[in-house]
Amino acid sequence: VSTREAELTAPVAAERRRKKGPSLADTWWRHAIALCAVVVSLFPVAYIVSAAFNGNNSLTGSSLIPKQVTFDNFRSLFQGQKNVTGHATFQNAHYLSWFANSMIVAGATALCTVLLSALAAYAFSRFRFKGRRLGMLSLLLIQMFPQLLAIVAIYLIVFRVGDIFHFIGLNTLLALIVVYLGGAMGVNTWLMKGFFDTIPAELDESARVDGATPAQVFWGVVLPLAAPVLAVITLISFITTLNEFAIASVILQTQTKFTLPVGLFQYINQAYSEHWGPFAAGVLIAAVPAALLFAFLQRYIVEGLTSGAVKG
Amino acid sequence: LPTRLITTFSGTVGLVLKIAFLSIVNALSIWAGVVLIDHNKWRAVAVLIAATAAIDAIYLVKRWTLPLKFLVPGTVFLLAFQVIPVVYTVNVAFTNYSTGHILSRSEAIANIQQNSLTEAANGASYSMTLLRDKDHNLVLALLDEDSGKTFIGTEAGLQPLPRDRVELNIDGAIASVQGYSPLKGSEFATIDKELSGYKVPVGGGKAIRPQGFDTAVVLEPTYRYNQRTNTFVRIKDGVVFRDNGRGSYVAATGDEIEPGWKTYIGLRNFSRLVHSKLIRDPFLKVLVWTLFFATSVVFLSFALGLLLAIALNKPGLRFQRTYRVLLVIPYAVPAFLSLLVWQGLLNDDFGVVNRIFHTSIPWLFDPWWARVSVIFVSVWLTVPYFFLVSLGALQSIPRELTEAAQVDGGGAMQVFRKVTLPLLLVAVAPLMIASFAFNFNNFNNIYLLTQGGPALGDSPIAGATDILISYTYKIAFTAGKGQDYGLATAIGILIFFIVATISAVSFSRTKALENLA
Repeated sequence: VSTREAELTAPVAAERRRKKGPSLADTWWRHAIALCAVVVSLFPVAYIVSAAFNGNNSLTGSSLIPKQVTFDNFRSLFQGQKNVTGHATFQNAHYLSWFANSMIVAGATALCTVLLSALAAYAFSRFRFKGRRLGMLSLLLIQMFPQLLAIVAIYLIVFRVGDIFHFIGLNTLLALIVVYLGGAMGVNTWLMKGFFDTIPAELDESARVDGATPAQVFWGVVLPLAAPVLAVITLISFITTLNEFAIASVILQTQTKFTLPVGLFQYINQAYSEHWGPFAAGVLIAAVPAALLFAFLQRYIVEGLTSGAVKG
Repeated sequence: LPTRLITTFSGTVGLVLKIAFLSIVNALSIWAGVVLIDHNKWRAVAVLIAATAAIDAIYLVKRWTLPLKFLVPGTVFLLAFQVIPVVYTVNVAFTNYSTGHILSRSEAIANIQQNSLTEAANGASYSMTLLRDKDHNLVLALLDEDSGKTFIGTEAGLQPLPRDRVELNIDGAIASVQGYSPLKGSEFATIDKELSGYKVPVGGGKAIRPQGFDTAVVLEPTYRYNQRTNTFVRIKDGVVFRDNGRGSYVAATGDEIEPGWKTYIGLRNFSRLVHSKLIRDPFLKVLVWTLFFATSVVFLSFALGLLLAIALNKPGLRFQRTYRVLLVIPYAVPAFLSLLVWQGLLNDDFGVVNRIFHTSIPWLFDPWWARVSVIFVSVWLTVPYFFLVSLGALQSIPRELTEAAQVDGGGAMQVFRKVTLPLLLVAVAPLMIASFAFNFNNFNNIYLLTQGGPALGDSPIAGATDILISYTYKIAFTAGKGQDYGLATAIGILIFFIVATISAVSFSRTKALENLA
């Protein structure tokens, strides 16, 4: 979590005025380094795109430039694929379930995370009450113990709660979501509180004078003004949740309940060379939501990172 | 927009929403309370009532609970799935909770009495036929193979069966009995479950039990429990098994009765990490590798990221923006996908990497190559981050400082070492520490690539690339020899203290760094 957040809050390069470019003789080494890095960093991306559209779905047959571009891999991803003996080797329905499960879990977690931490951040930012400092400090301390370290306890708790309340026990998406929400506050609340502090208090005071209640100020004044930071935290939370493997693999137990990491992990580990083509197609599709979210929220993200202050 | 939102949430709408929210909370907790009472979970009921009452009070009282109204929703989840798991982790770490030590003590005693059975010394054996009585209950028609007498066995006991009501088949077994109906063919598919717990008591703790579908034997308990002394006695030789205080009944010879029970064992899980060679050696190996892995990933990524940033931090460099976008693309792909893809690319038989270089290196299956691969892929994932961070930090260093140093006669290398790098580190060092803490517990990078493997010869669990957190996961969830929750949670607590200590020490160092600069 922390690295991504730090990256997004890091200062973005100030745009420099374009001068006439320096000569290639002085800068060839810069280009050399950059080109090397681009090749290494894009090589897997290029390969997965090529494998996804390559007609021959086994790993051995693939080359970087597909001999013929086909959608066979995508088709077998959704419809299943027959092997020599005529059995479907890819349980067709499952990829869709994994994808849907991931979207449900990551989407619900991200939205609730934003809401819960915004509520708390508003209280810490706008009210002065006993235990305020203590509350913020203990949030930070509790968060020092990552949920992952308590994975055994989480598993045992969900296991035992599920004995009585099946809908929130092992192998349910709801259990996974509420477990993730346990880590919703903490860092996010701190981040948001910092942002709320920069929203001038006069704005809510004038709303209060007009007769608005604190709840109305929160929903009507503070939240709309905090849109950039809300977007950033939604994105971070969505991607972090999407990536989570360990807890999901322990709580979810059947194929149809898996999320993308758990499903794709066991899929590619099963029959490696045979599954490579559809796997590549699956990876390509799975990368889309995060990329889209990134693109849509980019405006807010850049705004949230660079301005830090609020424009009226 | 704000004014519209305010009017929407004012007056009746706001009130309705609030009432709806509170009613749902109360309805849910009443329902949950009824279910909990059904299960006799009285402590949970008490907690539930207290929590619901507190929530109601907070949202209905007018003034002084105002901040709490905003804090409660998040806090509920924080308590339930962050604080309680941490407390429970500490709790489990002091128990022997593991395969074979799951039950409570009274459950374990009952289990031993029920399930540890041996064939009675001079017990009869029967040929058995499964039948249904008029009420469709399962009964056993039994033919004593020595005396030829016939019986009807039910869960209530054994009754003699007059021979004239019995018809035998050519094998000499009972074919049918008057007044009872034979099982239908379709029933045999599911009869296993019904038979597995079926026993016909014959007095003295002995019982007739089905063995398969057509024979039954008299079984008697292996152990006799003595409540007064809290011991088990093995009936055949009189050996006494005593409560060893660690959740098992153990004989003087070291024999142990299965199952044991869950109990507190003090610091034993921690002392096993120090004293038990079988646990200590793999643990230390994993610890050293974890430290090496996290450190090398952070430093290599920082070095490469910085190199890239320096290369691209040249005003007016052509394609600068293009390079930057291309270099950050891998970072926009969710990491788990990249990891799984790399696992495929590095496959030794089919992997692209081996085919490009015309090699056949077992990238993921040889202990040393696997370590190299894991570090390489992790660095690949982390470089873009340090590239962005370093670029930002480089550009925020005032140009006057470096120019002044050059005017004073510093060479390019000297200026970098004495001016740029220290200033850069002030900004980047805290991020490096955070990245270290992150990679120290970077479960995904290890598990999605190698699952911690390949196996090390001397440990059934720890693999060459296992870091502490994946080792813990395997101890708790995937170990073939059984799952050890107690040991796993103990290691989890150690990980926390290791990371906390390292972070605290290095953060205080960076403060010092800041003062220097």
